[in-house]
Amino acid sequence: MGLSGNAAIVGAAQYKPEKYQTAPQMFHLEQVADLAHKALLDAGLHKDDLDGLVINGPHFHEASVFVPAMAAEYLGIEVNFAEVVDLGGCTAVAQIWRAAAAIEMGLCQAVLCVIPARMAPLGPDEDPAWMAQAMRFGGHSTAYGAPEAEFDLPYGHMGQNTGYAMIAQRYAAQYGYDKSAMAKIAVDQRFNAQYHKDAIFRGKELTVEEVLASKLVADPLHVLEIVMPVAGGAAVIVASKELAARAKKRPAFVTGFGERLSFKSPSYAKDMTVTPVAEAAKRAFAMAGLTPQDIHAAQIYDCYTITVLLSLEDAGFVPKGEGQRFIKEHNLTWKGDFPLNTHGGQLSFGQAAAAGGFSQVIEAFDQISNSAEGRQLKGCDNIFVSGTGGVMSEQGALILQGG
Amino acid sequence: MATLKPMPVATKISAPFWQALKENQLKIQQCNSCDGWVFYPRNHCTHCFAHDLQWKQISGEGVLYSYTLTRIPTMPEFSDEMPQALAVVELAQGVRINTTLIDVAEQDITIGMAVKPVFDKVSIDGETLLRFTSTENVGGVRDYIDPLKDLTRNDQGQVQVPVSNLTALSALADNKFTDWSNQIVVDQALINAFAELSGDDYWLHTDPERAKKESPFKTTIAHGSLVQVLQSRLTIALPFEIIGFKTMVNYGSNRLRFPAPVPAGSTIYGRSKVQDISVSHKGVQLTLEVHIHVVGSDKPSVINDLVILYR
Repeated sequence: MGLSGNAAIVGAAQYKPEKYQTAPQMFHLEQVADLAHKALLDAGLHKDDLDGLVINGPHFHEASVFVPAMAAEYLGIEVNFAEVVDLGGCTAVAQIWRAAAAIEMGLCQAVLCVIPARMAPLGPDEDPAWMAQAMRFGGHSTAYGAPEAEFDLPYGHMGQNTGYAMIAQRYAAQYGYDKSAMAKIAVDQRFNAQYHKDAIFRGKELTVEEVLASKLVADPLHVLEIVMPVAGGAAVIVASKELAARAKKRPAFVTGFGERLSFKSPSYAKDMTVTPVAEAAKRAFAMAGLTPQDIHAAQIYDCYTITVLLSLEDAGFVPKGEGQRFIKEHNLTWKGDFPLNTHGGQLSFGQAAAAGGFSQVIEAFDQISNSAEGRQLKGCDNIFVSGTGGVMSEQGALILQGG
Repeated sequence: MATLKPMPVATKISAPFWQALKENQLKIQQCNSCDGWVFYPRNHCTHCFAHDLQWKQISGEGVLYSYTLTRIPTMPEFSDEMPQALAVVELAQGVRINTTLIDVAEQDITIGMAVKPVFDKVSIDGETLLRFTSTENVGGVRDYIDPLKDLTRNDQGQVQVPVSNLTALSALADNKFTDWSNQIVVDQALINAFAELSGDDYWLHTDPERAKKESPFKTTIAHGSLVQVLQSRLTIALPFEIIGFKTMVNYGSNRLRFPAPVPAGSTIYGRSKVQDISVSHKGVQLTLEVHIHVVGSDKPSVINDLVILYR
């Protein structure tokens, strides 16, 4: 059961992360077409090769229903496979395996996976205040009958920070908490960002002391352990083995995946410190026939430092409770013995909403296809990628391998 | 009672939970089929899917499963609780509840500590939130404290509410009308003057002879917009005065309606109520619902939801 490695990432495009205030504004449809064009050029494939589309549904600007149909029509393509994914930060990883699965089933040969994340221009009479209002509650629904509207919001439980903070506090009570180890995650990733021309924090190095001196947001999380939202967007082309043979770059074959959704609020987790990636990664490794020891680089979804720690442990890279020691004992930079988030991670590359998850996928592709410029790993064939949505609510794992 | 903080809106599924809290009891659901406990309220059991749950009263004792202290409020409206002690409590029945800890010093909060419920009255109407405190504390009921109680009053007896005091501001939005204002007469001379000023000299307002014959009202009526602006001549005694702002701007109207005519010669008066208070990046926005009636008439001649912005 699972993939046979007959589908691969063959091309990608990603907007440079920018501050919302200064980033270009484009309709989401316009971004989809632009990103698709750039990703096809990267792959060396043609528009007519595309016969599948996976797109993010939530926050799509020009439509809230029939998003794939609108986007396919706008692009000028017909597809045999159309899908919307609604898994927050896990969406990118989830799009890739869905595309690979559809290709292996023979539904299609080349799938555009795409998440636009630049702001759309405001309509002539549109009040810019609506967006600030909509963002007030983070990922929490305010709809009548939504459990979180009734049982979370009145107590001030909202947004992402406090949920992750409570997970970290629980972890600290169970296993201990080494603030400097947690800060080192951000610091090593910041080092990597110095070697990516598009990273938002390129040119700004960081020390453990600076992380720990930064403002506490919710105990124990400092502001420099929390991802910065940016404008951006990304597209990835997944294609069949046959098409991949025609591609310009070395393909990254999708040989394993897993997905697990455990809850919306971590308060209702069976165990708050055991995250859904445990199940997802186990399945992904088994499918690929690999173990964590076979992995040459890990691109771990990093909305917070605590996300990285728990994902490293639960994905099997280090036993539960030993992650902080592991982080201190290893050099996590691209020059080190455990290359982690070699583009800087979203913490230092920037998080373009749900497209932020693509930064990890695309970095894996860049490493495998030998396109990682100044931070290229040698002999990098096996990469683990994770995605995380909500508050550790839903996680996905991918194994990508050079052919 | 409006509040700036989001308030729970009970559904038919959850109503017994909120009603019990009002009565200082904690009730959660247990499955008749598998004995499993369920929280938050549902129609089905999350353990066995049976649709056979029963409300049971419980003591509410439990342990602190996790918590965080916020150093930046999760919304500006919660700045009166800083640091917010956001908590997850695991009840003896095994279910977890999102809540806040109260009356426990920062250094005394430890994961695993024993806690018990506090029924916190958050509005004058008895709306109750379920908070928790250490079992070493008294617990029980926390009474509603009127946030206007200790504020100063001006020489007209109005309570003075600083624009920065969000808790007090929220208490103003009580949806209760003021007393009626003074009365003024809207006679034909006033209507004619407004017709000349505005350029709206339609016969319905200005030609008593024709109106007597052709108007459904059998007489001339005042312009709706005239009655609207006459609000400035009506002294509506608000029970409060907002203080401590840099600028106050009339931001316009969310709703302007003229549901009933004001025939020439009528006497009018008005009243108002605070419909809503909200906070945004623009500042504090107060929505004042102004009603102007012909004296003695139940139906308003003007409804104007005036938006006033303080910053």
